[in-house]
Amino acid sequence: MTEPALRTENLTKRFGGLTAVDNLSLSLPGGRLHAIIGPNGAGKTTLFNLVSGLLAADSGRVFFHGRDITGLKAHQISRLGIKRTMQIKSVFPQLSVAENLWITRQAARQFLHPFCPASRDQDTRERVGQTLDQIGLTALAQRPAGTLSYGDIALLEIGMALISEPQLLLLDEPTCGMSPAETERAVAKIRQLARTIDIVIIEHDMSVVFEIADDITVMAQGGILAYGNPGEISNDERVREAYLGQPEDEDYVDEALHA
Amino acid sequence: MITPTIIGRAMLIAFGAFLISVPWLIPALLNRFWVSVIAEIMIWSLFAASVNLLFGYVGLLSFGQALYFGFGMYGVAIGVATLGLSFWPAFGMGIIAAVAIALISGIFAVRLTWHYFAIITVVFSLIFYFLAVSVKPLTGGDDGINFALPPTFSFGGVVGSFSSENFQYFFILATVSLCFFLMHCVIRSPLGKAFVAIRDNDVRAALIGLNVYRLRLIAFVMAGFLAGVSGALFAFFGRYASASYMFYHVSGEAVVWAIVGGAGTLFGPIVGTSLFIVIRELVSTHWEHHSLIVGVMAILVVILAPKGLVGLWNDRLARWGERGKDASIRTSLRTDP
Repeated sequence: MTEPALRTENLTKRFGGLTAVDNLSLSLPGGRLHAIIGPNGAGKTTLFNLVSGLLAADSGRVFFHGRDITGLKAHQISRLGIKRTMQIKSVFPQLSVAENLWITRQAARQFLHPFCPASRDQDTRERVGQTLDQIGLTALAQRPAGTLSYGDIALLEIGMALISEPQLLLLDEPTCGMSPAETERAVAKIRQLARTIDIVIIEHDMSVVFEIADDITVMAQGGILAYGNPGEISNDERVREAYLGQPEDEDYVDEALHA
Repeated sequence: MITPTIIGRAMLIAFGAFLISVPWLIPALLNRFWVSVIAEIMIWSLFAASVNLLFGYVGLLSFGQALYFGFGMYGVAIGVATLGLSFWPAFGMGIIAAVAIALISGIFAVRLTWHYFAIITVVFSLIFYFLAVSVKPLTGGDDGINFALPPTFSFGGVVGSFSSENFQYFFILATVSLCFFLMHCVIRSPLGKAFVAIRDNDVRAALIGLNVYRLRLIAFVMAGFLAGVSGALFAFFGRYASASYMFYHVSGEAVVWAIVGGAGTLFGPIVGTSLFIVIRELVSTHWEHHSLIVGVMAILVVILAPKGLVGLWNDRLARWGERGKDASIRTSLRTDP
């Protein structure tokens, strides 16, 4: 059997008295789109922070295609091909949209030329053009990223993940704050991406989750409550109680399932 | 058509032409004294550029750049006065001393950011200030080191030396221009873009694969180089080195010059430094509290033009450029499908 794209072993992270991620062992095989859901405070984003190196785990290990990446720094993990977007949208606000993509592309290099003008890089220029096209921000290319609407910033973040050609993409609530039209476009984009790269997505919008996910992991209080395909998850009693519990939501889930 | 780019180029050419003509123009219009004031302004502009590289482009506010300025000064002074070096080896020694101490202190300092970084840079410069004051045999303590400057070069019968005021002026102009040109290149390069990315959002910078610590250290050493060159030039200019130039008061002045002129712009430090030194020279002979004017102006600029004078000018220019374009741009803005 091939190594899973992402595997964690007894991963634990405490913040003072709070155990945000509690002895979490997770194995996500490659080639499938995984969604992680769970109530607020379940430890989803903390898990992403541990995987991407923004936080150091108290104990446990993280493996990326069988390679132990526990304790590596964020930029080292990024260079291995794990890219992520942030729940609170995070771009370079004073750089233009094009420059955001530009520097993201060039950051992958070991050597950053100190004197040659960045704009002379033909390969990067083409890739930036393509990516702008893909995410539909070509007309806003010269705008400072900080002046974009929330939805456009989210799209730019996805573009930044794209242009860095990741192997594993961690998306933290990518559609949060998007208009319905923007959500639709982002979901289409994510689906298309999932054909070539492994994606793990944290999402609160259940219609999005049940629409795109191959597998769903439900987290609660730092641990795994359930794991399965969307059908199994929606029929899981514990999940219903812990997360989808409110009766008025049930129809909604069924609706989403059969949509 | 006149575009902001053309205006910028024209101003740059005019400014360059002015600087080249200073040794003849200024004595004719004012008096020779102002030639050396302008030479001094150029040196201090380079020093302010060192603050600007760190604060304006990497987002690290250093109140300790005087340390590297001082090492540049002492490198030259000790090289000439104690070791008997000639001009260029002494110049090299000043720069190398500044870069070396910047590397050593940077290794510790750039682990920190914001006020912690500012504090540690002050602490470093205070430590070395008191060291320099107390190690009298090496540094001359409070009295400093006076020295006679060897000629810059002698080629056949031609001797270039700072004893010629014009030679001194043009040597300083050439060196400062070269440093600003290098900084211009760095800012436009992939490395410079990475600096700005770190300034804007260091977490995101790490997530796209930038080694934030190493890049900050590179910037810190580069800033040490600029400060070291300006310190070495100032030692040549004054034939003198003193621990008083390592005090954090000197660093603080450069921070004010850079911010008022416009942090994050190449020419901001030149504008800020020129403004304040000209005010100082005009007012200080009549009124001893000239730093009051400096303080009021600094406060006004920070409130009214947070991007500094050059930032204000750039914004005006950009807005003016925008007005030139017609409304067709606006209709081409992307609309949601």
